[in-house]
Amino acid sequence: MKTASELHFGERGIILDIDSSHPSFGRILEIGFTPGQEIELVNSSIFNDPLAFSIRGTLIAIRRREADCIILV
Amino acid sequence: MKVLSVDQSPLITLVGPPNSGKTTLFNLLSGKNLKTVNYPGSTVEYSTSKIQTKYGINAEILDSPGIISINPNSPDEEVSINSLYNHPLYGSPNLIVVTADSSQISRHLLLSKQLIESGFNVVVVLTMNDILAKRGFKVDEKKLSELLGCDVVSIDGRHAIGLDKLLIVLESKLKDIEKYGFVNSIKKIFYSKKEDLLRLFKVIEEIEKKVIIPITDFSNDQLESLNKKLNILNPSLKYGSNRPDELTLQIDKYLLHRYWGLFYFFMIMTITFTSIFWVAQPFMNLIDQLFSFLSLSVGNLLGQNWYSNLLTDGIISGSGAVLVFLPQILILFLILGLLEDTGYLARGAMLVDKPLSKIGLNGKSFVPMLSGFACAIPAMLAARTIPNKRERLLTIFIIPLMSCSARLPVYVLLIAFLTPPSKPWFGGLTLATIYLFSIFGSIIVAALINKFKKNIIQSEDNSSFILELPTYKLPKLKNVIRNSFESAKQYLLRAGPIILILSMTIWFLTYFPNHTPNVNTQGHSEKEIMQLIKAERLSSSYASEIGKFIQPVMSPLHMDWRIGVSLIGAFAAREVFVSSLALIFKVTDENRLQSSILHAMKSAKNEQTGEALFTTSTIIGLIVFFVFALQCLSTIAVSKKETGGWRIPLLQVSIFTSIAYILTLITVNGLKFIGIN
Repeated sequence: MKTASELHFGERGIILDIDSSHPSFGRILEIGFTPGQEIELVNSSIFNDPLAFSIRGTLIAIRRREADCIILV
Repeated sequence: MKVLSVDQSPLITLVGPPNSGKTTLFNLLSGKNLKTVNYPGSTVEYSTSKIQTKYGINAEILDSPGIISINPNSPDEEVSINSLYNHPLYGSPNLIVVTADSSQISRHLLLSKQLIESGFNVVVVLTMNDILAKRGFKVDEKKLSELLGCDVVSIDGRHAIGLDKLLIVLESKLKDIEKYGFVNSIKKIFYSKKEDLLRLFKVIEEIEKKVIIPITDFSNDQLESLNKKLNILNPSLKYGSNRPDELTLQIDKYLLHRYWGLFYFFMIMTITFTSIFWVAQPFMNLIDQLFSFLSLSVGNLLGQNWYSNLLTDGIISGSGAVLVFLPQILILFLILGLLEDTGYLARGAMLVDKPLSKIGLNGKSFVPMLSGFACAIPAMLAARTIPNKRERLLTIFIIPLMSCSARLPVYVLLIAFLTPPSKPWFGGLTLATIYLFSIFGSIIVAALINKFKKNIIQSEDNSSFILELPTYKLPKLKNVIRNSFESAKQYLLRAGPIILILSMTIWFLTYFPNHTPNVNTQGHSEKEIMQLIKAERLSSSYASEIGKFIQPVMSPLHMDWRIGVSLIGAFAAREVFVSSLALIFKVTDENRLQSSILHAMKSAKNEQTGEALFTTSTIIGLIVFFVFALQCLSTIAVSKKETGGWRIPLLQVSIFTSIAYILTLITVNGLKFIGIN
């Protein structure tokens, strides 16, 4: 099972599901990370966390821990 | 629902996700009678205004904080969402205008859809159509309006294109409501379940497919070939609106570069800081001179009596103490506003999130902490944007440790004492060292407090960092200036009265009971006599009583009651320390204020021990004291308001002031021990 936090820079993935046991899952969904959407890891902070993904035509920065609840196909 | 009486105008509430052009629209519609009000009992702020009279609509508009969904994620969001159902001051809105970025329609329609399903009267305003147009697409408003079941208007906030259409829609909507009343009943749906959100997104994605249409009249063949071309570049690109702004991606290659990103970050921060200090300096001097002049003129006019003194030393100097920081605060907010508007601040927050999270803070603590270098008061207000309560409280907790601008005059004086005349560069270096020292100090204190947070902060919450990195764009100067003035006004309203009252209290304590002492006037000039009177009055005043009372606390620091009194005076505002010292150490030459304080300081003897009072060790000790001590009553008052009780402000005062005292004790005695007097 691959999650969004395991993407390499410039690598794309399609979202399969969001882990609803994660406390931030609601906000992750609301901001646009929904199953079927394609995401790309575009940037990261120098400390490799948070990560910036392109999703639905915008850039969203989330922590690595939160990227872990985004399960990819 | 707000009940309309004859003289009451209907309420239109603006809601929208962050970066959806909501505030631009508000500024476009709102007239001059703009008010910023707090939601009762909370820190959530609203701007309200009547719609500009030239638009011919009699309605009140209310700008609420940006939300992405009506499922609340923080206490502040909960308040703003609840207020849609029933605002304690305004009731429920007659009409809700939701802004949505048309280039982000699949994300931004979520809120509109939720509000429509809940039964509100909604008008959707599509913004940023130019961005979508650049990609060759536009939104079919009519179709979208049909599919959503509400009015849809496109608007270009920058040039006010489409505004007339919006006004017509608003007017007819309000008329309908007036005529037929509110037909729908509002249901409170929270959409917190995964299925609910997924269902909504599915509906929205279907809508998006139908309403995004190409601008040019391509034939289907052309469109297909265009699609093929695009597909070569990006196989997932279906209708071109799915890729982030290309320029933004290019700029981020530099500004968010994995190694250079930090370099640019420090560059931008350095420029910000230098401007706060150097650009503001001439304005601060001007204000300072203006108030000195005012004080002197009033003093000359009224002569030597208590009310003249109250006016000059209490009220005028007190007002000066408030206003002197206004330039720094304005410039800080101007720069922060510009950085925010360009889109960089969100990236700055992202860059520092990791190190800050190590000490229990959040990337979103970054802006409040930065503001703290100008003044803790606006900084604590800025901490409201942190969704997690524990992180927000911890941010507020350590903000007083940021080296605010009120400390600067104190440092300048103390450093001047240490700097040998032959080495003027020493001063700048020392000041930079103090700033670094205060940053490291606050990191250590934050880490320690984070360790004991269960006892101190008493709040647990899921820590998260989810932040949209907005498209880079040119800032809207008009909005930035307007917001800076609004923030400055907040500072004046909050800090002003406290500083003023306190400086009057301190004036009282230093003036009474022996307000007209007898002094030996023989052989002295008029000016010298005045100074003698001042000094004599002070040494027999209530303040000196207090000072002598705290002498036992000062003795271990090798300081005496006079420094103690100045430190108490510094509670009004830290820079009062300088004028208190001046007053106490019998400064004779008012024209050369700083050098004469220095002179008086150099010759001052400790009244108890008889040794020199100001030495390298005591001066460094005082600097250490000022780095840590929380001696600002306005900060305490704002901290109480923002944290909702006395617990945190009292802990701040006791912890920071004890740290300051203990470290000063160690510094002074340690330095003396190793032979530095």
